[in-house]
Amino acid sequence: MAAEQTIDALGQFKLDTALGPLGASVNFTQSNLMMLIASALILSLLYFGMRPKAVIPGRLQALAEIAYDGIYSMCHDQIGHEGRRFFPFVFTLFFFILMGNLLGLLPFSFTYTSHIAVTLSLALVVIVLTTVVALSIHGLHFFTYFFPAGAPKALAPLIIPVEVISYLSRPVSLSIRLFANMVAGHVMFEVFASFIVMMAAAGTFGVIGAAGPLALNVVLVGFELLVAFLQAYVFSILTCIYLHDAVHLH
Amino acid sequence: MIDRTDGPKPTPDPARPGESFEQRLAAARAKQGLDPKPAESSSGQGMNSSALSVGLRVGVEMVSALIVGAALGYWLDRWLHTSPLLLSVFVLLGGAGGVANVWRLIGPKNPGK
Amino acid sequence: MRGLLASTGILLISSAAQAAEEKKGMPQLDFANPLTLSQVVWLAIIFFTLYLLLSRWALPQVAAVLESRAARIAGDLDAARDAKAAADGAVAELTAATRKAQAEAQASVSTAVDAAKAEAAVKANAASAKLEAQLAEAEQRIAAARAAALGALRGVAATATADVVTRLAGITAEPSTIEQAVDRALAARAA
Repeated sequence: MAAEQTIDALGQFKLDTALGPLGASVNFTQSNLMMLIASALILSLLYFGMRPKAVIPGRLQALAEIAYDGIYSMCHDQIGHEGRRFFPFVFTLFFFILMGNLLGLLPFSFTYTSHIAVTLSLALVVIVLTTVVALSIHGLHFFTYFFPAGAPKALAPLIIPVEVISYLSRPVSLSIRLFANMVAGHVMFEVFASFIVMMAAAGTFGVIGAAGPLALNVVLVGFELLVAFLQAYVFSILTCIYLHDAVHLH
Repeated sequence: MIDRTDGPKPTPDPARPGESFEQRLAAARAKQGLDPKPAESSSGQGMNSSALSVGLRVGVEMVSALIVGAALGYWLDRWLHTSPLLLSVFVLLGGAGGVANVWRLIGPKNPGK
Repeated sequence: MRGLLASTGILLISSAAQAAEEKKGMPQLDFANPLTLSQVVWLAIIFFTLYLLLSRWALPQVAAVLESRAARIAGDLDAARDAKAAADGAVAELTAATRKAQAEAQASVSTAVDAAKAEAAVKANAASAKLEAQLAEAEQRIAAARAAALGALRGVAATATADVVTRLAGITAEPSTIEQAVDRALAARAA
């Protein structure tokens, strides 16, 4: 054991195939399994919540309705009247990320939002969608976005690449923000948890000392719950802001 | 003499004294958006949270613009075989793009355009 | 707090990443691993399916429930407003009707009083006229009776005078002279 005392904070992010040989044959990872579970949870919240179709909602129905209303008003406030077209997309995005973040906090689970490949793919979907929307609404007029009206023409060779890079940095910043927050939280969990194990292994005094990192981890769970919500919210509200830009093209 | 006690007069509800049926009905209708509400200025800026989160966003925006600039420069260099030149140019442009991002984030806002 | 924790986390990542550098590096950046890419493929499939299920099936259900509730509340509030208006109208109508009835009652009372007064006046007039007539008649009767009485008194007085004159004076007076004297005496009394 003593040789293995280095903290392996990154092993938790290692991908493996799930669902036995069937999953292995199609390279279905445990990350994808968590995505399936998250999707099933979202769908069953809406299904079981809305099944009574009650005029006066029960608890689960109220939760489903709050979820619907919250995202709907976010779309409507940020994008404007056209926001209802993108509402299902933003809803899917928000709850897919939120469920991924929250499920990742359960022991023995896997946080798919801690993979840059996943967050970057989601961000690319967002950015491709906004670009397609902008092009379909404004046509080639969209490209004036990269050159603000009233800027001196001589600066065009400087402004246009800067604006293009700024536009292209959107998916990168979206994905890095989510990825970094999730990884940081889970690395800290792992590090503090390793401290607990190491100290507990060091004898009676160590067991008392292990209470420190344990308390830290308990506080960290509450903090990470907040971060899970906040990052899902930030990702989807930025999506809404980008969609607003695409629709209104300022 | 004419008795006026049966005339139309707000009847106070026993459940909520001091609030007539008309007021309560008007309030309920306004809440449901049935009657036109008095004009209300809706500020749709949902991102004015704490300074700390703005600070964190600034960092992420700067870094991501730099990454995009560096990646663009690297790939253009590999394509055009101009090894260090475009990379350095695009890293600078990426920094400028990051500043532009940050300016857009915290700079003066001109909504409605 | 947040920035501090995040930066601590980033520091920890970088140190941990350096520690693990010799072995694997961050598994998330291990793009040589086929699972990193297959994960994205499955992500696309799952995300798209979830989107389709949500947008075609689950969210319209919620929307239907919310809309029906909004419609029901709107209907109830409209009904309440209409009922309120109807009640106000009914109350106003009732007040108007009450006022009208009171006015009518007052009018009919005053006409009845006037009619009664007029009738009473007519009756009083008639009664007084009748009384006048009876009075006049009675006066006439009295006058006649008085005249008759006076006439009879004259005869009686004349006879009595002739008797008195005959007894006292022993003379038989001329009847015409006696009548003249009686007339004179009567006239003197009447005067």
